[in-house]
Order: sequence, then C-alpha cells, then structure tokens
Amino acid sequence: MSDKYLHRPSGLDSLGDPLPSIDRVLPRRLNADPENLERGLAQLVLTIVELLRQLMERQAVRRMDDGSLSDEQVERLGQTFMALSERMAELREEFGLEEEDLNLNLGPLGNLL
Amino acid sequence: MTTLAEQDIGLVDLIDRLLGGGVVIAGDITLAAADVDLVYVGLRALIASVATATEKGVLPGMGSAL
Amino acid sequence: MITLYAITDHPTPPVPRLGEMRVVPSGDLAAVCGPVIKGEVTAEALWQHEQLVEALMQDRDVLPVRYGTCLPDDAAAERTLQDNHAEFAASLDTVRGAVELAVRVFAALDRAHVPTPAAAPMTGAEYLRARARSAAEESDATVIVHSPLARAARACTVARVNRPGELLRAAYLVDRDQTAPFAAHVKEIQEGNPQLRITCTGPWPPYSFAGS
Repeated sequence: MSDKYLHRPSGLDSLGDPLPSIDRVLPRRLNADPENLERGLAQLVLTIVELLRQLMERQAVRRMDDGSLSDEQVERLGQTFMALSERMAELREEFGLEEEDLNLNLGPLGNLL
Repeated sequence: MTTLAEQDIGLVDLIDRLLGGGVVIAGDITLAAADVDLVYVGLRALIASVATATEKGVLPGMGSAL
Repeated sequence: MITLYAITDHPTPPVPRLGEMRVVPSGDLAAVCGPVIKGEVTAEALWQHEQLVEALMQDRDVLPVRYGTCLPDDAAAERTLQDNHAEFAASLDTVRGAVELAVRVFAALDRAHVPTPAAAPMTGAEYLRARARSAAEESDATVIVHSPLARAARACTVARVNRPGELLRAAYLVDRDQTAPFAAHVKEIQEGNPQLRITCTGPWPPYSFAGS
C-alpha cells in the first residue's frame, strides 16, 4: 500500500473512534435484487427521511440563531428532533444499516446526501 | 510505516475516489462482490424497481408520480 | 467481460506492462481495459486497481473510471467512447496536466465527541444548540481550510460529511507541479489552527472531476 499522505496531523493514532475495517468503510449501495428488495427499499426510504430530517434540523437551527423562535419552541423542536434521531437509529438497527449507508449513489448525479 | 488509523484514512480517501468518483458509464450494473454490494443502480432502474414494488404491494400506491 | 481503468487521448503512449492493460481506441479517445479480476473486494484489490491507474497517470492525462465498471467486450468499449465522446473529451480537457488532492478536516480530539442524547440526557434546547455548534464548526472549517485551498486549485468539490467529528471532506484539482506547494499550504493552515486536524492525501487520478 503506497503512502498517499501529503500531510497528516501529529497524534492521528488517537482519532477518537477507531476507524472501521474495510467492510464498514465500503458503502453499501442500493440493491434492487428482488431478494434484498425489502432492505434496499428500507435504505431508500430511510435515506429520504434522513435527508428531510437534516434539512428541517438545519432550518430550526437557523431560526434559533436569528432569534425567531421562543425558548419554548426551541425546547419543543429540540425534543422532537432528538426523538426523531433516536427513532432513526432504531430503524437503522432494525434493517442492519449504518449512518453511512443512508446515502444514495445516483451514478452521474453523484450522491444524494 | 503508517499506523492503522492512517492506513484506514488513506483507505477511506481511496474508496471515496474509486467507488464515489470516476467516470460513470450510465445505465450499467457494475461489479457486485460477495457480501459487499457494489451494485449501483442507474436512476431508471431505481425508478423501475420502486414501480415494481408498488405493483406488488410492497409499497403503498404512490399515484402517478413515477 | 472486460474491466475499464481509464479513458485517455488517442494516440497515447504505450501503456505499462501491468495487469494486462491494453488500449481500445475510438477516434481521438481510447479506453484502457483489462480482464475482469474476480474475487472479493478487499483493500488490496482496490489498491491494486489504483496502482494500475496511477501507473497510467505517470505518462499521460487520464479520466479514471469508477471501480468495478465492466463491459461485455471491446466493441462495447468503443461504442461507449463514441456515445459519450463530447463529454469525455471535455472532461479530459478539464483535467489536463492536473491531479487530485484530497483533504479532510476533523475536530481536535478533545472536541470530537459531540454529546448524543443516548450518551447523556439533555434538554431539547441543549440538543439543538449542540447541533448548531456542529454546524458552526463545519462552517468554520470550510472558511478556514476550504476557501484558501480552493483559491489555490483549478477546481474543487466538497462532499457532505458523514462521520462523527468530521468537519470537511473536499477534493482539489491541482496542476501536477503544484502538489508540494499545496501540501505546504495545508501544513501552514494546520499550524495556525490547532482546534482542527487536517489530512491531505494524493496525488490521485482526478476521480472527482471526471464526471459530467
């Protein structure tokens, strides 16, 4: 394996979470094989839900930052997003999907997320 | 001699390129390997598979969106 | 079945005697092909493929093809070149004389762990503020690292980060002889920003700049 590093910070050994082995790093693509249809569709649906979740969260953060939300609204929105985030984690686990799997490779269009 | 963490990062950059970039020959199904799906489904094939799933009742009717 | 490594000009210098690579020409473009290599997709397989593409890159400009792309035969490769001639020619012009450098930015170790609701209970407001902080860190990394590097590059792409602690993931198209100055620039930015950890790898064939 050639050394492709042009720059690396010192102490990279302790990068926090250990980086995963190759089968975790390789993204799993949407599989339209009929036998795996259910899992592939779960991946598709969860990816879209994840996209919406990220968009909504970002919108909420923007409105929180520009002061257009009351404290109560911030709290309620935060609770909702936390619950949604936990539910997403449960659904991912149910289908054996990792966070990195919730992406769609659209070929020439690049990745969705 | 690179550490494991560094090798993994090099690997992540390698994978981003080889599997996430490069010229894409549209509409083709590419190499699939045991246990690791490298199949990327062209957009038309994706839509077709969702339409099929709708027909078969796996997905609720999605109207004429597709 | 044949596998594609890269698209090049035609004529092109003789390809290295590696991996049974050969040239399938069509007009002023050529596809560098080889036999399909069966077997599991492992890190070694990916690096081996990469080494072939990099060997090609030594002596010519290449448009690297996505890993695992297979076609039935040479005729299909020729057809692909014909069907996409304008697009391939334009992309090849874009990357002429340039290579790709990959940059990633992570938060420094003591800041990499964003508290999650699962790890420690928090109020809704705390959660949203933590999300806002993450978004701000990503935004800072973009301004501090990406903007100056983008100015030093011919072209750039930014990907969405998807790992905890990751703040930026970008690719830069850089003239072949500008690799060392670019790396020096990265080092300079790192030294001025201990709150970030920056990695730079390359030179790579221009995978991120090969598409339409």
